[in-house]
Amino acid sequence: MTSSNLIKIAIAISIGIALGLIYGWVIDPIEYTDVPPNILREDYRVDYVLMVAEAFQNDHNPETAARHLASLGSEPPATITTSALEYANRNGFTQNEILALQNLLTAMQMIQPPGINNP
Amino acid sequence: MSRLTFHNTTLHLLLALLTGLGLGLAYSWFISPVTYVDANPAILRADFKDQYRVVIAASYASTHNLPRARARLELLNDTDPIGELSAQAQRMVGLGESLERVQPLAQLATDLQQGFASVSPTATHFTNTNIFNTPNIETTVDELSATQTPTNQLMEEATPFPTLSFEQTPLVPIQVTTSTPRPTFTPIPRPGGPFILVGQDSICEPGLPSSLLQFILMDGRRKQVPGIEIIVTWSQGEDRFFTGFKPELGNGYADFVMQADIIYNVRVVEGGAFVPNISAPSCTDPNGVKYSGGLLLTFQQP
Repeated sequence: MTSSNLIKIAIAISIGIALGLIYGWVIDPIEYTDVPPNILREDYRVDYVLMVAEAFQNDHNPETAARHLASLGSEPPATITTSALEYANRNGFTQNEILALQNLLTAMQMIQPPGINNP
Repeated sequence: MSRLTFHNTTLHLLLALLTGLGLGLAYSWFISPVTYVDANPAILRADFKDQYRVVIAASYASTHNLPRARARLELLNDTDPIGELSAQAQRMVGLGESLERVQPLAQLATDLQQGFASVSPTATHFTNTNIFNTPNIETTVDELSATQTPTNQLMEEATPFPTLSFEQTPLVPIQVTTSTPRPTFTPIPRPGGPFILVGQDSICEPGLPSSLLQFILMDGRRKQVPGIEIIVTWSQGEDRFFTGFKPELGNGYADFVMQADIIYNVRVVEGGAFVPNISAPSCTDPNGVKYSGGLLLTFQQP
């Protein structure tokens, strides 16, 4: 096989790889159907935290609230709530909603994250 | 000979192209697939969707904001949101979950079915029943600008409107300028006096499932009451269930399939009404064939 043929083959492989990548990343990327909540878009995450905060206004059960928040990721519940509160402040949530998130944050700051032992 | 060489070269090039294509697909699908970082609730795993519904219902139990709960349920893209709520409530009862966790789901299903909140939202902490920040899957920044204009105009008169400058679909930024004093909390009304058996009717309708024991529980104003636990016991077992998990049949409705020739005892947990010696009645169809009919027990508070 001549060197010009080898070059042609290398070019063909490169074109094939490029086409494959375009098809796999753009035209028909993998579709996720069973995703966990930790990759929810930020506004959905914040709305979820707001729901937890609203429920907390009613049941005043910080353990239940922390359990619900835990599904949003491995971060401590207080951190998740803080992020949601910052988003709410930036995006003009109502006073009642911000108040609910603040109340939840106060409760979550009292919760000891699992795995951290008291001295 | 030269034709053979041409074919050979073309074949090599084609094989090389296909090899490259295969490598590209393998890399883009398996080695480094597209990573989702901005998923929406509709593609959540089933168990997380269940948890999402629980949180929606718990939030609704606090706010009684039915439009917002409905909007949040729509995010899950269920074909029958009410049916999903009812089915999940039944699954949770079957798994032995507490009434405290199950009842909000049943209550939300009931309220969605009847189209209004059982408890007025004005009696809770949250007063805005129709203006809220729940994201919408279909909404984009441009659509927001187009659809929110009337609201925005009203609000811009009072406060400057935040700039929509972020990349992702934002929440609808809504400024509520009136300060509303926090009202006192009004709990969900609980059933009052004991339930009394006011009707025990045999139902001989061949179209109904045989041996179906149906319950209807009503309050003193003959309004059906959801979330009431009923215990059915028999010599070899016991079953517990709640009213309101089939809102399409009535908020105070529940049912249980009996076995022929077995005697059951029925107890309504709240109020303590006890009905012993229940069994499926024997019915005869127009052709003279006997079959097990149903029974309807109606309970009412005084």
